[in-house]
Amino acid sequence: MSVAKGSIPILRVGPNLLVTVHIDLHDVVAEAFQEDVLTELEKRRAPGLVIDISGLDIVDTYVARILSETGRMARLMGTETVVVGMRPDVAATLIRMGYAMEGVNTALNVDDGIETLAGIAAGKKTA
Amino acid sequence: MTRPDPLARLNLDDHELVSRRSFFAIGTDDLERLAALRPFAEQHTDAIIDAFYEMLLAHPETRKFFPDETSVRRVKRVQRDYFLGLFGGVCDRAYAENRARVGATHEHIAMAPKWYLGAYRRYLELLHERLYAHFADPAEANLAYQSAQKLVFFDMSIAIDTYISANIDAIRRHQAAIRELSTPVIRVHDRVLLLPLVGTVDSGRAHQIMETVLTRVTDEQAKVIILDIAGVPVVDTKVAQHLLQTTAAVKLVGARTILTGISAQVARTIVQLGVDISAMDTVSRLQDGIELALAHVGKAITAKGA
Repeated sequence: MSVAKGSIPILRVGPNLLVTVHIDLHDVVAEAFQEDVLTELEKRRAPGLVIDISGLDIVDTYVARILSETGRMARLMGTETVVVGMRPDVAATLIRMGYAMEGVNTALNVDDGIETLAGIAAGKKTA
Repeated sequence: MTRPDPLARLNLDDHELVSRRSFFAIGTDDLERLAALRPFAEQHTDAIIDAFYEMLLAHPETRKFFPDETSVRRVKRVQRDYFLGLFGGVCDRAYAENRARVGATHEHIAMAPKWYLGAYRRYLELLHERLYAHFADPAEANLAYQSAQKLVFFDMSIAIDTYISANIDAIRRHQAAIRELSTPVIRVHDRVLLLPLVGTVDSGRAHQIMETVLTRVTDEQAKVIILDIAGVPVVDTKVAQHLLQTTAAVKLVGARTILTGISAQVARTIVQLGVDISAMDTVSRLQDGIELALAHVGKAITAKGA
């Protein structure tokens, strides 16, 4: 699927990167998404990454796994990830399926996500 | 509030109609027999209806439904249409819907089914007398009576269904009201919510709690929600599990949960049951919970003048 590559825009917000997912992440798209994000991180060396999923009505365990995996991969590269804007019904469904996405930072919206990243960065400095 | 359509609730589709007709053994022969009796019905309708209301007006309980002469005249007119409808020779969807409307009217004026059914007995009695007088051959009278009886019982079945579905509707409305009352989410401060839980938490309610909490948290973009369980009498493994699930879900949407109001009894049970609730922020008093929540949104309560 050629539309996949680069179909999810990655923006710079201050030192951090912001990815807004608004198309359903499935199979090919999800993998392309992960690759795009990691490549961009490698280029930019951003300390933080915000993934906005408020546009997603459906998040199955596959997508949830891709998201948390991306977060863990980013962490290995020195980038903290915050997933923001998960819809209430999506959260309820994931929890009922026993998928709590442990280890992933979350926030209500993009602003809060950036705030969370700042908090983590401040914590790292003092530590 | 608009009353829900009684017909929609009954689901009187063609399949239902065929099934019901077959169970009441209403055949085309019955309908034809009744249609042939239409002149008989027209001849006797006024007398039958007068006698019918005589009984209703004689009983102190049923008399209440007919406060004055005008209302009696009005219902007699409606009753006349109803009675002649039995001799229309049709038992289709329109007929059934008309019967459902009759049931809905009786339910609406709160006439209990006992009066409704009791009145039907009189109806059949009146019909019986006149049919046997009309036919020289009692066998023929019997056949006609049987046909009418089938249709009358069919009508009653629909009317009783309307009563029941109206009551089920009322129960649903009450349940919805109780559900709403059972999860009163309060806004304590900007981006801080409080849900005081009172009463038993079963899985149905736990489900409802999670939905409400998540919706309110995202709607109000609350950073913290305090769950106060001081009013929950029993916190067993299941309840603890539900609370943990809600906490995890709240975290997914990007907020956090603080659990307050844990009594000594509850603390003991939780530890003895071996439930790990370390994933939740817990404090014993609601006051401490509010202070902790405010700290999360960068606010604090300070003494005046300090």
